[in-house]
Amino acid sequence: MTPPTSVAPEAETPSAAKQGPAGRRIRIDVRHLSLLGVLLALVVVGAITKPDEFLATDNFRLILTQASVIGVVTVGVTFVIIGGGIDLSVGAIVALASVWATTVATQEYGLAGMLLCSLLVGLGCGLVNGLLIAYGPMVPFIATLAMLASARGLALQISDGKTQVVTVQSVLDLGVPDSYVLGVPPIVLVFLGVGVLGWLVLNRTTFGRRTVAVGGNPEASRLAGIAVKRQRLLLYLLSGLCCGIAAFLLIILTGSGQNTNGNLYELDAIAAAIIGGTLLSGGRGTILGSVLGVLVFTTITNLFALNNLQTDVQQIAKGAIIVAAVLVQKGRFTP
Amino acid sequence: MLFGTAAASAALLAAGCTSNDSDDGGENTSADQAGVADDKPGKKVTVGFAGPQADHGWLNAITQQAKARAKKYEDVTLEATEGSNDNATQIGQIETLINKKVDVLVVLPADGKALTQVGLKAMRAGIPVVNLDRIFDSAQAYRCWIGGDNYGMGLNAGRFIGEQLKDKKGAKVVELAGQDNLELTRQRTQGFDDALKNYPNIKKVARQAAEFTVESGQEKMAQLLRAQSGFDALWNHDDDQGVGAERAIKQAGRDEFLMVGGAGSKRVMETIKGDKGVLKATVLYPPTMAASAIDLARALGQGKGVGGMAEFEIPASITLYSAVVTKENVDEYLPIGFT
Amino acid sequence: MAPLLTMSGITKSFPGVRALDGVDLDVEPGEVHCLLGQNGAGKSTLIKVLSGAHQPDGGEITWQGEPVRLPTPVSAMRLGIATIYQELDLVEHVSVTENVFLGHEVASRGVIRPREARARTAELLARLGHPEIDPGTLISRLSAAGAQIVSMARALSHDVRMIIMDEPSAALDPDEVDNLFRIVRDLTADGVAVVYISHRLEEIRRIGDRVSVLKDGRVAARDLPARTTPTDEVVALMTGRDTQHAFPERSARDAAGPSVLRVEGLARAGEFAPLDLEVRPGEIVGLAGLVGSGRSEILETIYGARRPSAGRVLVDDRPVRPGDIPAAVRAGIGLAPEERKSQALLMLESVTRNVSVSSLPRFSRGGWLDRVRERDRARARTRELALAPDEPERQVSTFSGGNQQKVVLARWLLRECRVLLLDEPTRGVDVGARAELYAVIRRLADSGVCVLLVSSEVPEVLGLADRVLVLREGAVVHRAPSRELDEHRVLDLVMEGGPA
Repeated sequence: MTPPTSVAPEAETPSAAKQGPAGRRIRIDVRHLSLLGVLLALVVVGAITKPDEFLATDNFRLILTQASVIGVVTVGVTFVIIGGGIDLSVGAIVALASVWATTVATQEYGLAGMLLCSLLVGLGCGLVNGLLIAYGPMVPFIATLAMLASARGLALQISDGKTQVVTVQSVLDLGVPDSYVLGVPPIVLVFLGVGVLGWLVLNRTTFGRRTVAVGGNPEASRLAGIAVKRQRLLLYLLSGLCCGIAAFLLIILTGSGQNTNGNLYELDAIAAAIIGGTLLSGGRGTILGSVLGVLVFTTITNLFALNNLQTDVQQIAKGAIIVAAVLVQKGRFTP
Repeated sequence: MLFGTAAASAALLAAGCTSNDSDDGGENTSADQAGVADDKPGKKVTVGFAGPQADHGWLNAITQQAKARAKKYEDVTLEATEGSNDNATQIGQIETLINKKVDVLVVLPADGKALTQVGLKAMRAGIPVVNLDRIFDSAQAYRCWIGGDNYGMGLNAGRFIGEQLKDKKGAKVVELAGQDNLELTRQRTQGFDDALKNYPNIKKVARQAAEFTVESGQEKMAQLLRAQSGFDALWNHDDDQGVGAERAIKQAGRDEFLMVGGAGSKRVMETIKGDKGVLKATVLYPPTMAASAIDLARALGQGKGVGGMAEFEIPASITLYSAVVTKENVDEYLPIGFT
Repeated sequence: MAPLLTMSGITKSFPGVRALDGVDLDVEPGEVHCLLGQNGAGKSTLIKVLSGAHQPDGGEITWQGEPVRLPTPVSAMRLGIATIYQELDLVEHVSVTENVFLGHEVASRGVIRPREARARTAELLARLGHPEIDPGTLISRLSAAGAQIVSMARALSHDVRMIIMDEPSAALDPDEVDNLFRIVRDLTADGVAVVYISHRLEEIRRIGDRVSVLKDGRVAARDLPARTTPTDEVVALMTGRDTQHAFPERSARDAAGPSVLRVEGLARAGEFAPLDLEVRPGEIVGLAGLVGSGRSEILETIYGARRPSAGRVLVDDRPVRPGDIPAAVRAGIGLAPEERKSQALLMLESVTRNVSVSSLPRFSRGGWLDRVRERDRARARTRELALAPDEPERQVSTFSGGNQQKVVLARWLLRECRVLLLDEPTRGVDVGARAELYAVIRRLADSGVCVLLVSSEVPEVLGLADRVLVLREGAVVHRAPSRELDEHRVLDLVMEGGPA
């Protein structure tokens, strides 16, 4: 049970913003505003330091493309965290799905076969996580940690440590400019689709409502008649599915599958969700916040690369920006 | 001749070794070269082999090279451990090999410094150690070190690019480095920078570090291409991350520059041979060193020296040459390209 | 003899409740001073003030003739006041010795001296008549009685002048109670004072010297001789409260028709004996009993939150799958649990979402919510119950206790449940707001809902319920229409377990 400490009543999900019969107040989530502020600040820095390279359609397309894979993963992780869990296995599941979908045998089945394989591997791993956590004796941290280890191991075994290059032309074609729809890469379209669908599911369905309830107070949810275990299982299935989708996007993006894919996705996704305003203890969070969180991180990386800053500086600054983003949010909350 | 593989002989003798038959899988030997007495079965030798986890193309090739080479000799028994990236695990594995009293040890440490003590232990126990690539902290911890030359790799990449661009005014070069927290990445960059100093007309305009993975290669290359609207040459430290880098180049639709790879994967060599894209060359970091290490171990076990050299003893250290593979010589190297 | 401790005019308020309203108490060395009072009379608060856990708002405490302040539990311990709480506060996975010396370890210059600590623990356990407990055993391996002994050893490990025991016999067998009394006599012979809290009057007669009775935060009587005061008189002192409970009229017509809720031989081993029970539409049935009498467990088992070891629950003659909350909810059962904040409400969420959470399928098609309908229906229910303020989008945590309870009731109203199980519905609700809640509960019953009510406040059960079942130690000791019972009689039954 999370004590309602500094969370003021006016901090609501965007869905609540338009509520009130007479449109009493139009409210926008404070957290989203502060994240948008951070994003805007980054854009200003970009526009000053590298006006030509940063403020270009191509660059915004690049930022969105690079945000897509981790973005899809983050949507799934956000659901799990709101539901009171944690998923440390997402990076490993992405690796396993990308490797399994790019074996010579799978590639024989073409695009559809590879896509199906990605999704099924993701769902399968999510199912194992969910069963262990919801119906088994394990806490999410340990169960998904075990999945992290075994999925990475299996990915290594299947790939034999080799980079599996995709030879299916229809898959490769999805990652090059010819495939862009009105200038938007298909990868980005999928990301947008997952984001919008995630937002709808969280805010407009019984599943979303129950996720928030179970994460906010599992005991009260149980006593209110919600099938808490089934809900937990579904949440890990959802996260696994997102990993499967992300793995296929990564295959399109890199034209290959490799067991080192998805390195540290779990931490990036959790960090993005947290700076997006999701409570690590569950019961509160938004998809929009998580997506903004991902965009902040991707824009930082882009900005640094454009300015030719090296890895050490990038990492130091990334840490500082996480702290700053959270401080900005908290600053708005303390009266 | 001890160093039978094409790459190793090319490297050691630095001469146009032309007698290589190209058969499959990097196992080809120039068996018909002079001084091949050692190829005949001799005293039985048990070689213990410990390497890191083969989760990456080059490391994978190392393990395969060692195993294939050992299989070739009737008198060599290879005791290979499960690869591990954990220092403690690897130390345990090597100690097990010492207790088993293998005749010679071949060790590619996950971390050279961290495994120095166990190398010393083996040497004190009378087991000669062939230290592969990542060097121990103390020369007493190995009988012979054989490995690649990271600085030389950068140097040769820089020289090759320098020669290609020497007549071009205001030439721009971009570097896609490997994992920045590894010393070898710093050495490669240092060599590259030192080579470029000889060409005042060339300027390195950008450098980003990827993580030896396809995913990071794609990401960092995409950013570099955005940052630099036009440049003349690119050096990518690692052919594995190059899969991603080439993908990013294709996605950006760019082709105004020439690209040089690193390490020498089969895929890259085939691309060089096909000569269709920006990729014009790759600088070797030959995984055949593992095969050579088995040869050295066998020679140590049998008390013999290196063919083709005047000394009775095998050398204390052997630095391999980082050859530049181009369209002209790619056929020679194709067999040792790793997958 | 000069009193060891004197408390005068102690007051203590919590938001909405005046827990202590000028309490006077004096304790002499070597006496067993018994504290009696109903739940909510202020006993627990008084103990906590004495042990330094709560600070009084006003009044004075004198210890051996000197005025003192007890800002922390440690300061009370330094004076020689030790407390053995009802819920033992031992560390489960740690040894007996470590628990006994927790916080004041036997050490020299910061280094623990385990052998000496063990020896001293063994000595204390022997003195308490339990030399068989190994000082090295983990607490989790001990029985409840064993844990109690350790708790007492911990109290005695200090240089103690006064021990407060809060219902020490609750978890003990008769043999163990005898041993406890022997220990108490040993202590008092040494001049240690014991403040003894219990509901069991027969124990108080055996061991006590003087009795003080607390009622509604005040001392109703003091200096009563423990052995000779008649039970009647004690009970009268405990119950004679002001009539602050305004209960609604029972409906004129008797509840008729077939019973909707039927409980047949329902039991849970170790918690409550087989129970038969029927509730007809429009009827409120009350369960009266002390904490630990099994009343909450019965409600939770009917609701499926606990799995019964025997018996079954039927709604409209159809059996409900045991141990399955969603099945119970589908059958039309709803529960308003005892701990509203931790067991019933989603504190970060709005009123609407709290009300609709059990009825979501009713506002959705294929999983998609119709949020306008959800809001309108939820709002209709909260208006029916006169939720104040009438702001369904406000976060539920900002409402008062009584209004939060209305939110929980609205949840089950919206679900159109047939059977409503209420566990302590007025816990944490201001006295003024209770009457309103009583009216709401009565209205619900009148509309045809079967209500099963649990409360530790006897007047509440008697005032609201049509029929009452009196529970003692997991078994029904008496059933009667509430108009045939009075508070006095119920308390007698609850505490003495007299014949039904």
